[in-house]
Amino acid sequence: MKAMRYLALTPIAALALAGCGGSTGNSNTSGSSSAASGDCSKPDVFCVGLVTDTGKIDDKSFNQSAWEGVEAGGKATGAQVKDIETVSTNDYATNIKQFTDKKYDVIVTVGFLMADATVKAAAQYPDTKFIGVDQFIDTSKVKSPNLTGLSFNEDQAGYAAGYLAGLMTKTNKIGDVLGQEIPPVQKYDKGYKAGALAANPKVKVTSVYHPAGDNAFQDPVWGAGEAKKQLAQGVDIVFGAGGSTGNGAIQETAKASGAGKTVFCIGVDVDQWDSVPAAQPCLITSAEKHLSQGVTDLIKQAKDGSIKGGNFIGTAGVSPYHAFDSSVPADVKTKVADVVAKLANGSLKTGVTL
Amino acid sequence: MPDKDVAPPPATPAAAPAVLERGAPPTPGGLWGALIRYQAIVVPVVGLVVAFVVGALLIRQQGVNPTYAYKTLFQSALFTRDGLNQTLQRTTPLIFTGLAVAVPLRVGLFNIGAQGQFIFGALAAAVVGYKLHSAPGIVIILVALLCGLLAGAMWASIAGFLKTSRGVHEVISTIMLNSIAVNIIDYLINNPFKEKGQAIPRTPQIAPQAFLNDMGIVPIGFPIAVILAVGTAWMLRRTTLGFQFETVGRNKAAAGYAGIKINKMILLAMALAGAFAGLAGGIETLGDIHRYESGFNANLGFDGITIALLARSNPVATIPAAFLVGALRAGASALQFDTGIQPEVVDMLLAITLLFVSLPLVAKLIFRRYAAKGSALTSGWGS
Amino acid sequence: MAWFSRNRSVTLTAVAIIVAAYVFYAINQRVAVSMIDFAWSFAVPLVLAACVGVMGERSGVINIGIEGQMLVGAFSGFFTAAATQSLWAGVIAGVLSGMLMGAFLAWTTVKWQMDQIIAGVVINIIATGLTSFYYKSGQSLTHVMPNIDIPLLSKIPLIGPVFFEGGPIALTTLVIVAILHFALFRTRWGLRTRAVGEYPSAADTAGINVIAMRLLNVTIAGGLAGLAGAYLSMEATPTFERGMTAGRGFLALAIMIFGAWRPLRAFAAALFFGFTSALASQLQASNIVSLPQQFINLLPYVLTLVVLAAAAGRVRPPAAAGQPFVKGEGS
Repeated sequence: MKAMRYLALTPIAALALAGCGGSTGNSNTSGSSSAASGDCSKPDVFCVGLVTDTGKIDDKSFNQSAWEGVEAGGKATGAQVKDIETVSTNDYATNIKQFTDKKYDVIVTVGFLMADATVKAAAQYPDTKFIGVDQFIDTSKVKSPNLTGLSFNEDQAGYAAGYLAGLMTKTNKIGDVLGQEIPPVQKYDKGYKAGALAANPKVKVTSVYHPAGDNAFQDPVWGAGEAKKQLAQGVDIVFGAGGSTGNGAIQETAKASGAGKTVFCIGVDVDQWDSVPAAQPCLITSAEKHLSQGVTDLIKQAKDGSIKGGNFIGTAGVSPYHAFDSSVPADVKTKVADVVAKLANGSLKTGVTL
Repeated sequence: MPDKDVAPPPATPAAAPAVLERGAPPTPGGLWGALIRYQAIVVPVVGLVVAFVVGALLIRQQGVNPTYAYKTLFQSALFTRDGLNQTLQRTTPLIFTGLAVAVPLRVGLFNIGAQGQFIFGALAAAVVGYKLHSAPGIVIILVALLCGLLAGAMWASIAGFLKTSRGVHEVISTIMLNSIAVNIIDYLINNPFKEKGQAIPRTPQIAPQAFLNDMGIVPIGFPIAVILAVGTAWMLRRTTLGFQFETVGRNKAAAGYAGIKINKMILLAMALAGAFAGLAGGIETLGDIHRYESGFNANLGFDGITIALLARSNPVATIPAAFLVGALRAGASALQFDTGIQPEVVDMLLAITLLFVSLPLVAKLIFRRYAAKGSALTSGWGS
Repeated sequence: MAWFSRNRSVTLTAVAIIVAAYVFYAINQRVAVSMIDFAWSFAVPLVLAACVGVMGERSGVINIGIEGQMLVGAFSGFFTAAATQSLWAGVIAGVLSGMLMGAFLAWTTVKWQMDQIIAGVVINIIATGLTSFYYKSGQSLTHVMPNIDIPLLSKIPLIGPVFFEGGPIALTTLVIVAILHFALFRTRWGLRTRAVGEYPSAADTAGINVIAMRLLNVTIAGGLAGLAGAYLSMEATPTFERGMTAGRGFLALAIMIFGAWRPLRAFAAALFFGFTSALASQLQASNIVSLPQQFINLLPYVLTLVVLAAAAGRVRPPAAAGQPFVKGEGS
């Protein structure tokens, strides 16, 4: 009975505490978004908003990279920046609308799932610039001049990483642990295979996608288990491409015996030397797409008015070797650098189609 | 309070008569008496208020003024044209998936598989919607919804059939069937039903004449959902089938002695649940997404569990329950934008609401000896 | 002999599986060990979580909040370990926070007779919210769990390197399953627990304190869920991610039922599921069969249903699971 009384008191206490709260209606805007003070509808106030794909702004993956790009772009252009996190796919339109209601000048939407919602919003608000990250725009159907799709040749990054893996493997077995079977992941995977075979025709690539669909990018435990299994079967280089799932795989590889000497791992999307420190013992490089850079560039273009509608292809490549700079043979480095250069100038094709 | 915007849910069958049980004290008259008689409504409302007060603490702890936060939340969800439309848009499928969990609960079955049934319904409607692109809108709509309904019902019936013929527990089978559905659909939208020239695994867009548009601010699906919820309540209370459902749910042995075909009831209840979930998928496809794309609507089926429990598996009460959840979800966007508070706060609010609405303690505190005796809503795992 | 005739089909199945495993081992040692190792790593959290379910339901409380309890365990374990740089402090924090979640379930459902499913769902939502709300990126562990080698036992072919060589939580799990199984069916505590879960009013008449028994069991079980969470964020991976339980709590419910509410059978069921998952990824990688990966990936789920349907055992849950107990009312 005593417990009941306490329970009855809780709301009263809570009310009292809540009532003591600040009397100002508008409280501080906390969190990662900087204080939105200026009025974005004024021509001299430049505002950039970012809508995340389902997930958080600090996801160590594409949402975070895109946000870092927005922050850098904001700094360079003196823009006011703000983000909104999407909880469910049903929120895309509502979240974009928050920014258009406040007359933001540039709205960055992250992830190909938001493509439809972005196209719709771009048509509805022709004065706002839209940047769709990982969105390839079908220019035969979508004509909005205020919509720029930022996409990447992940297959090139995968190809370069695979080329390196093909040259480095001693067992002629390499693996990759993947998230969901969606275009960016498929491009990494196919590029990796093509690159490895180009470097070393004897190589066998074991590639496995996460089985369960919806949480395919959030299952580091499965990724770790799969990497362990592959290593036990003789794979000596593991490429983890799939958000936290892939991170689980490279972290597991870092624990394996021989990590950093005979066994290596390759990260994805960003230079994971910094974002996944636990993988450093084996992390020879990362297959990167320069997402932050692409977003920053487009924001700058939007500010000076040179931005064009349609597709903008960002750059992709491999990260520095960091601590492994001395253990990668010089001729391997030369060959990989050569491949990266040829991919960039178009003289070498990955041959990857989806 | 959102509850005021819809017809007050009738007392749950378990709660109302309980007060009049033999041995219960005579009910006082006046306002107090009325409150006691309608405690099935009073208790959730009080629970909701308590939950929002506790939620205010949480918001305060994040450095945001709770009064301002609630004002933003409800203003954007209920008092703007777009906001109310969004709220109703979200409420609609939630009523259906709520029913998809609530109806089997009445028969003593726990359907965790509304999600799988939902996505099958959504896919079926999308496929019909783009394959029949030259047919008149109304034809496509009817066929698509029917196919969605059947797809959901068939998927759910697998669980029902496994239960009645092989004794496989529905909790296992529906969990497994959810994962199986995700994989099968992933295959289908990567292969036969994939949009040509698109790298993204998704179906083509459905024919524009088949879009389910809004009537003013009300999405067409909403009245359908309300009618079905009320109809289900009527079916459970007034028809023989409903009586049989309830009897099986309360006491299998007794139902068996009374000559009720238990297996038939189980099969019917699962099929009906799947039909609700599938129809929800169809309406989402035609009314909102306009195609099937994986990753969309990844949670509506699971939300159905929350709704059904919030409604204490009373079909009519799924309407205010879904409305509450819909309003919270619709308002979350503006809440986050204006206050910077993390969006999870809305789900926490929902959990606290579910807690206080369901704690029998709340009724006991208010009504003391007049409190209706709570009965277990979910009578175990069945068998 | 009487024991054998009672458990004939189970024993024969077990023998057949073990023989098959060794035949596989003889054919390809490396692949067999790696696949069964994958199965066991996959099964560890499922086994622990299924034990949580078993302890709850055997004493009459359905626990659908295992997913949330694990998530909280993983969260508080990892962040405590990161803050103190002590894995042991992390494991203890994980277990204690799990117990706290267990106590929440116990208190609301047993003391206050709240609906058990609702209480579980509340736990899941709150756990997801809290662990996401207070998540901080950039934390990491400086140590990894030590690899322990049990002398002699780890030398047994196949079984040795898989089960008797590994992280401390995985090894503890073996002990926990064995103890729980023994305790449930061979001790006074087990008899009382089962009585409370099957026929609480009779147990009450016999002088067993039903309420206390349920409170105790559900709370301790929460600790096991916390341990399962600690396994995920500290032993299987050195990281916490939002939603990293990825549905394992619900899968564990299925495993518990598959295992007929018995710890040892749940252990076998979890291993079975883990092995079919290993098989799926092996097939996906090797291109032996030219099926789309989606069809290969649904193998574990379909096989589980097929096995259950073929067994057609109408296993019965503890009779009072889900029913609140009010002294003097009978149930």
